[in-house]
Amino acid sequence: MPFISKIQRQSDYSSFSSTHPIVIDNGGSYFRIGWAGENDPRVIFRNIIQRPRHKITGETITVVGDHNPALLKYFDCTRSGPRSAFDSNVVYQFEIMEYILDFGFDRLGADQSQINHPVLITECACNPVQSRSKMAELLFESYGVPSVAFGVDAAFSYKYNQQLGICSNDGLAICSGFNTSHVIPFLNGEPVYDACCRTNVGGYHVTDYLKQLLSLKYPHHMSKLTWEKVEDLKMEHCYIAPDYAAEVRLFQKGDKKAEEKTRCWQLPWTPSPMEEVPSEEEIARKAALKEKQGQRLREMAEAKRSNRINDLENEIRDLEMLLQRLRHATENDIPLILAKTVYISKHDVESALAKATQSLRKAKGEPVESVEKMDPSSTEKYNLINVPDEMLTPEQLKQKRKQLFIKSTSEARQLKKQKQIEEELERERQRKLEEERRLENPERYLEELRAKHRDLSEKVEQRKKLKTNGGQTNGNHNASGGVGRGERLNPSQRERMRLLTTAAFDRGKGEDTFGAKDEDWQLYKLMSKDNDDDDDDKPDPDEAELARISSRLQEIDPTFIFKSESGSSSAEPPRFRPLTKEDFQIILGVERFRCPEILFNPNLIGIDQAGLDEMAGISIRRLPLKGQGLEEKITSSILLIGGSCLFPGMSERLEAGIRMIRPCGTPIKIYKASDPILDAWRGASTYAAAMQFPQQTFSRMDYYEKGEDWLQSYQLRYTI
Amino acid sequence: MEPEVVEAELVLPTHMKFKKIQMYEKYPKGQARVRWKHLKQIIQAENYQNYPPDVPNYVNIESPPSMRPCKRICDVTGYEAPYFDPRTKLRYANAEVFKVIRSLPNDYVQRYLALRNAAVVLR
Repeated sequence: MPFISKIQRQSDYSSFSSTHPIVIDNGGSYFRIGWAGENDPRVIFRNIIQRPRHKITGETITVVGDHNPALLKYFDCTRSGPRSAFDSNVVYQFEIMEYILDFGFDRLGADQSQINHPVLITECACNPVQSRSKMAELLFESYGVPSVAFGVDAAFSYKYNQQLGICSNDGLAICSGFNTSHVIPFLNGEPVYDACCRTNVGGYHVTDYLKQLLSLKYPHHMSKLTWEKVEDLKMEHCYIAPDYAAEVRLFQKGDKKAEEKTRCWQLPWTPSPMEEVPSEEEIARKAALKEKQGQRLREMAEAKRSNRINDLENEIRDLEMLLQRLRHATENDIPLILAKTVYISKHDVESALAKATQSLRKAKGEPVESVEKMDPSSTEKYNLINVPDEMLTPEQLKQKRKQLFIKSTSEARQLKKQKQIEEELERERQRKLEEERRLENPERYLEELRAKHRDLSEKVEQRKKLKTNGGQTNGNHNASGGVGRGERLNPSQRERMRLLTTAAFDRGKGEDTFGAKDEDWQLYKLMSKDNDDDDDDKPDPDEAELARISSRLQEIDPTFIFKSESGSSSAEPPRFRPLTKEDFQIILGVERFRCPEILFNPNLIGIDQAGLDEMAGISIRRLPLKGQGLEEKITSSILLIGGSCLFPGMSERLEAGIRMIRPCGTPIKIYKASDPILDAWRGASTYAAAMQFPQQTFSRMDYYEKGEDWLQSYQLRYTI
Repeated sequence: MEPEVVEAELVLPTHMKFKKIQMYEKYPKGQARVRWKHLKQIIQAENYQNYPPDVPNYVNIESPPSMRPCKRICDVTGYEAPYFDPRTKLRYANAEVFKVIRSLPNDYVQRYLALRNAAVVLR
């Protein structure tokens, strides 16, 4: 529950008489200002200022407190973070303080020429006189305040709770604020500063510790971990462990209870688009679309084909008619008839007809008679081959060479065709054999096929892996990727380097038997530079076999899933893991109680001072008046004040801690303040409303006449 | 200035009717900024050592160091830390955390150390 600030401008300033005091609780985190006697402060805001520059005009402006962060988009805040007037719990930067007071009085509605009201403002216990005097000077000089009173927030808070009947006249205030924590004993309703003690640890440190820990744990989400957000996380999730060691052991063991105690903050995250699996209907829709397109294409092709057949048929008919006419016509008429056409002779027409018929056949999808069939003229074609060279003219020699070439190529083609047919037959035969085996024992066959597939795919994958990244064999298998020379080469290149180096350094060692075996010469092939290129070109026989088997398996085994895709992707290590929901989670486990633990053990953050429970013991020890009765009285009225007392488990832990310090059987009563945060202002408000309040203030005259020594010893009497 | 900014009164006005001395008079533009004394300097200037020891002041109300044995927790996980890595100077709870801290970049190690005010500060 983040604190809500109130910064609306008040309109009833002029309705208060000039004797009505203004009460200010100038806390480390929040500034509260209001009228004496009222129950709640009128204006509350964070005690910080920002001085960003306007992006367009370049003007430096002052922003006090917390505003709608969306409005800051017009300003360049990169060089001006939020700044506070406080160093620890002492005001030292009075320029900032003045801006804050300006804003506070302005929002309270001040509209006269000066602040004509007595002011009660809080300060820390034993405020250095320099700070106190500067504050007084500021109020008197700049704002024209007639009189001022300084009081300690914890004291006002204790008094307020005493009036409510929560704590008694003698007691102990444990006040854990924003910058510091105090323990102040009270005797007869007055704070005993002689016995009070302060540790410089507070809510600020808890938030800062949490922020640092989380940003170290989640460096990628550093930008999400703003001060405000971490403050919210702290208020919502942090608690004080009854026993830190026991609690942390739960988490270390991974206990179920620890799991329950772990909180998770899910950052906004949208799954990357490539991860989305298309829905069933999407697939169906796409398939339908594809089918439709295919249908259209097929129709178009069909139309084209029928058109062509039509054309060809017409042409053939024409040609036949022409031929008929030619046959019937006399020798003399032929040129006349042919003159009308593009053909020169009857032979020409015949060949055109033959060509057209063949095209028609082809168009209709009928088997085309092999053009390659030995036409009778072939013997004529190669008529020059068997003639000796001497008997030929140079022209004929050229011809002969050409014929020789044509003949050899056509023969080779023939041979190849035959081989193909043979292979086809062989494959067919094997298929039949396999089919028989399958029919014989389908189960076993399938099993065998699967085993073969597994083996082969493993082999292929292995090879691919070797080719791409060398797999796990290189000894230096860290996933982050090494940086040595060996890492950058691919394995085949690396193997080549190895061979070269061994060849270079292996000279003259033992007997040289190189070349005795034929395999030895393979080495040169491996060494040659283009060795790894050429085996990329031709398909791997294993891969071909694998493809065959998987297609076969696909045919006969419905459960088989063809995973050539996954195989190839697994060969290449996924460099960019797709980000998942878990990557955008901020887990609060041990941090939930580790951070507030610094209130009890400040040495966790390197502050060598006693923690809250020990402070109580020190404070009691420091009391000037001793006596059993007194100490017992004090421990039976311990009041918890301040924002850091809101952590769950605070009072239990404190009670346990104080019980350890105090003698056995001491009565220990710990009370929570009615409102640990606002009580200080409320106490001050009731105090300032009292009739005797004016006697506790000092005027501008007093300030200038009595001097610093007096100001140093100035102290309110809280019981009036 | 954008209308929404003006409406929200985000910007603190430079002139306040209720003030006797305005900010711009006190801290004129272009003049060297006032160097405010930090708390340490304030304390030094106060000469607390000359004050009577029985009168409470800002310095002598401070808590003494804790009398309890110092709790040692793992810098990374927060678990109880029986071990100490002499190389990084980090405390750690078990072998897994050790692996983590040994793989941490140096600036992270320094930031972890800075959390308990043990980092090497170069001046």
